[in-house]
Amino acid sequence: MHETFYDVMRRQGITRRSFLKYCSLAAGALGLSPAFAPQIAHAMENKPRIPVLWLHGLECTCCSESFIRSAHPLAKDVILSMISLDYDNVIMAAAGEAAQAIIEETIEKYDGNFILAVEGNAPLGEDGMYCITAGKPFVDELTRVSQHAKAIISWGSCASWGCVQAARPNPTRATPTHKIPGIADKPIIKVPGCPPISEVMTAVITYMLTFEKLPELDNQGRPKMFYSQRIHDKCYRRGHFDAGQFVEKFDDEGAKKGYCLYKVGCKGPTTYNACSTIRWNGGLSFPIQAGHPCIGCSEDGFWDKGGFYERLSDIKGFGIEANADEIGKTAALIVGGAVAVHAGASVIKRIASKGDDA
Amino acid sequence: MAIIETPNGFNLDDSGRRIVVDPVTRIEGHMRCEVNLDEDNFIRNAVSTGTMWRGLEVILKDRDPRDAWAFVQRICGVCTGTHALTSVRAVEDALNIDIPENANSIRNIMQLSLQVHDHLVHFYHLHALDWVNPVNALKADPRATSELQQKVSPSHAKSSPGYFRDIQTRIRRFIESGQLGPFKNGYWTNPAYLLPPEADLMALTHYLEALDFQKEIMTVRTIFGGKDTHPNWLVGGVPCAIDMDSPGAPINMERLNYVRSITERTIQFVKNVYVPDVIAIGGFYKSWLYGGGLASQNVMSYGDIPDRANDYSTENLMMPRGAIINGNLDEVHEIDLRDPDEIQEFVPHSWYKYPDGAKGLHPWDGITEAQYELGPNLIGTKTNIERIDEGGKYSWIKAPRWKGHAMEVGPLARYIIGYAKGDEYITDQINSTLRALDVPLPALFSTLGRTAARALESQWAAEKQLYFLDKLIANIKNGDSSTANTEKFDPSTWPSEIKGMGFTEAPRGALGHWIKIKDTKIENYQCVVPTTWNGSPRDAEGNIGAFEASLLDTKVEVPEEPVEILRTLHSFDPCLACSTHVMSPDGEELANVKVR
Amino acid sequence: MSDVSKTKQEAVYVYQAPIRIWHWVQAFAILALGITGYLIGSPPPSLGGEASDYYLFGWIRYIHFVAAYITVIGFVFRIYWAFVGNSHAREIFLPPVWRPRFWVGVWHEILWYAMLVKEPRKYEGHNPLAVLAMHFMYVWGITFMIITGFSMYGESTGFGTWQHTYFTTWVNPLFGQSQDVHTWHHIGMWVIIVFVMIHVYVAVREDIMSRQSIISSMISGWRQFKDDRPADKD
Repeated sequence: MHETFYDVMRRQGITRRSFLKYCSLAAGALGLSPAFAPQIAHAMENKPRIPVLWLHGLECTCCSESFIRSAHPLAKDVILSMISLDYDNVIMAAAGEAAQAIIEETIEKYDGNFILAVEGNAPLGEDGMYCITAGKPFVDELTRVSQHAKAIISWGSCASWGCVQAARPNPTRATPTHKIPGIADKPIIKVPGCPPISEVMTAVITYMLTFEKLPELDNQGRPKMFYSQRIHDKCYRRGHFDAGQFVEKFDDEGAKKGYCLYKVGCKGPTTYNACSTIRWNGGLSFPIQAGHPCIGCSEDGFWDKGGFYERLSDIKGFGIEANADEIGKTAALIVGGAVAVHAGASVIKRIASKGDDA
Repeated sequence: MAIIETPNGFNLDDSGRRIVVDPVTRIEGHMRCEVNLDEDNFIRNAVSTGTMWRGLEVILKDRDPRDAWAFVQRICGVCTGTHALTSVRAVEDALNIDIPENANSIRNIMQLSLQVHDHLVHFYHLHALDWVNPVNALKADPRATSELQQKVSPSHAKSSPGYFRDIQTRIRRFIESGQLGPFKNGYWTNPAYLLPPEADLMALTHYLEALDFQKEIMTVRTIFGGKDTHPNWLVGGVPCAIDMDSPGAPINMERLNYVRSITERTIQFVKNVYVPDVIAIGGFYKSWLYGGGLASQNVMSYGDIPDRANDYSTENLMMPRGAIINGNLDEVHEIDLRDPDEIQEFVPHSWYKYPDGAKGLHPWDGITEAQYELGPNLIGTKTNIERIDEGGKYSWIKAPRWKGHAMEVGPLARYIIGYAKGDEYITDQINSTLRALDVPLPALFSTLGRTAARALESQWAAEKQLYFLDKLIANIKNGDSSTANTEKFDPSTWPSEIKGMGFTEAPRGALGHWIKIKDTKIENYQCVVPTTWNGSPRDAEGNIGAFEASLLDTKVEVPEEPVEILRTLHSFDPCLACSTHVMSPDGEELANVKVR
Repeated sequence: MSDVSKTKQEAVYVYQAPIRIWHWVQAFAILALGITGYLIGSPPPSLGGEASDYYLFGWIRYIHFVAAYITVIGFVFRIYWAFVGNSHAREIFLPPVWRPRFWVGVWHEILWYAMLVKEPRKYEGHNPLAVLAMHFMYVWGITFMIITGFSMYGESTGFGTWQHTYFTTWVNPLFGQSQDVHTWHHIGMWVIIVFVMIHVYVAVREDIMSRQSIISSMISGWRQFKDDRPADKD
């Protein structure tokens, strides 16, 4: 007897009565009539755990580390009772050939019915040999497995956008999942962040298991439930922003009073993530609460937007690197100078021409 | 190749059967290992290959040095924060910034909590399955398991027969579902697993308990750094301001109480679960004392955890610093990380090239240019390696050497150095552990020694965490609530050309960052990380690194199921993303990366 | 219009009243947008005390948004007026770039500004160079600012609002991410500031040195001419 979703709920103290109520709510959320509730209940009581192949490319394992920090549900319960994490090189017992055999077996047995979770990304440079698995390019393994998956989860900013190894000049041509040539045309759920919030990761999984569908995504492929608002929109320091009360430098009076970190570069106003609502590590805190500006780690290319402690981004190009104000002030100064010179010349010319006329 | 003796005293013979493990799992990153077995299945040649690189040092060029910590922190999410700490120290060293005492205490608490977390997760979730057989746990009698638990650790509350029965039932259901998840395809019938079912059940139960508890340990970093994994740091101090009487300050009494509560629970967990488990499991495996390798010869530690802020001298570092060579425990050598002749990196067997191929370079003068080429005796193709040729280039890891010596770094190295220096706490711990296991001192130089050192160090680290929390509170009480020195935060105050270096002891060992700053931007950034030391390929002279040395002369019971290889490699807690972060891919960059 | 050149010295009614009102409303709105926009990027020194005592940054942003809406409504009206107003109302929207004569005019204006010709040509509406500048710097500049502006405004109004649906959803990915949109909007501000500097300078200069009135025309609506020779066509 395997442990089903129902068993987990029961074990966590949920009664049969509230389980059935939950099932009818779930039916409603799926747009089904309450008559479907028994079917959902039946599925939850008997459904085998969905296999997950969690592949690692170029990454730092921070997503896995975040995942195991989930407070609700516990990573333990996700692994033992909700999914079947058959391949994940960070925690799996098997190694070498025995590990690789699992991939083949899963493809054979669950073709089109397993979830491919990608942590990190594949480099395309050097024929993909900047990341080698079983003697071969990781990118080949990734594209092949993707052909057989039901859906793909791109964990973290690496798989979603490219993240640090794809920062300028991207020496290995690290490429996010959806941009890899040959990746299968399967639904891709991006769960960006460096790493994503632990409870967001497990919530994405439990949403899929509970409602038996993919979460609703925004037009960039991120679950709306966690990525459709900026950190700024729900930031508890927002009142200080509107008031015009800012931390001018670290450890000043404003920092001790918990003022807004906007002037020391906070990217909360341009970052879509759930940090200010769900917060981190069981809702304990988040970067702004601990006094550091948001660095925008769930945004595409956040590494290349100038200094983390600058309000205005740098613009690179034409051999210069400056922010909009520096460029603008310089341009205004040059144009102002040119205007003055031109005006002077015009006056001289006018006087001269008046002299001619006379 | 016939038998050859390496300059550092190991015999290599690649004539026997070749076994390949790729991927090596339960590590951070990507790694391959090949060994040759003789007729009696003893390992006679070992080749370890780092199979990834990301080029972070190239990416760092021309960036704001104040941002560097965030980039290098992403070298590794397992030892998250240790690179960041090393980086802010390097930048502070370059800029001559003194950090406030409180910042030092908070950084130490964060770094120590990382040590404990990393060691604990490593032991239970990356390493335990090399010793513990979850399938065998189903045969255990919960009552006997309870008795074992109470004998091993009388103070651990979760020890009733019912508790073990519940866990066993849950594992049984899990295994009988046929969906084994992370336990799938393990070598569960291999005779190398020696634990009785009760010990397996106890350890497996703690695997789950530790999985629940590890997320608590790191919350102290969420308090001070805002999130974990990858908390936030600051050049000049820490970002979390302290004001005990302000409603808005990031750090107040409640936050400090939270840290205290977690720290005390951490101390208890390490004392009542982790350390007793290691000793109990070690007791069943004490006949298996393979895997010493370089440990009994050359070990090194940079030292860490400065007691007072801004003093990185050996005397002020609470983690031992120094180097031991040729196994002479009577002499601990001083190390100088700035001396161009001490630490050097070599690349004859790495997928990089130097203008002068055989020469070593100090990190401040490091050159890095990728050169992916395989040796002539490769079996396979460039994109399908079946058997690597260790005679040629064979790894994305460079080969660092200290005064020409291959060194082992890590918790065991630190403990050997602490022991050699007569550190009272460490000596007591080592002696009592040896006594408990009834083994002599040389048993320390082994795979199990490494695993045990990690547990003992966790105990030390958890207690020191409390020491620094007390110190922090005492300092606040004395009226000092300063957390950051922002005098030189503005780049316009910086000299045009400066260089600095920072070091820490990462959970996996000695970590150093070297930075050169020109006109407020990073001109060159080099990291030499623990797994670069331990996982290093051969150098020009043929000296082998710690991974390769440790595997030699180990017996593999079932060659198709090389659990012994995993055991020993895992005992180093390899971190491949760390070791292979370096370099530029093309000749263009060379001129830029090269440091004059 | 063809009649106008025959009655040489007579003034021409160029800028109809709605255009004049629009112009000056636009001028003040852009001034407000520029000042508040700059402050949004580089906020004034922090205020102390309690958050509930102030709403400074809120006001700065509020003024920016009000001025922005005025600009948008003005711009929409301006487009409408291009259809229903006199022919001069269409000039800046449709520079006749397909006509060689137009480019000859542009070249002549360049020479005039470079002080290489003695005399400028004479125009009822904008001179060809001015048409070009107004078209690219103003028409497209403001369009760019409106699109990027609404994209950022949609981030505040949130998912499901029309600002978000019609702007944010596609503008953010187009530029990369929100921070990029902010950066380019800020660059746009500087482009407009520089354009305004030139615009004002040239208006003053040409008012004095060209053959027709400039500044007073935007007040009275009438273009006065300083000589009796026929006006040039674009």
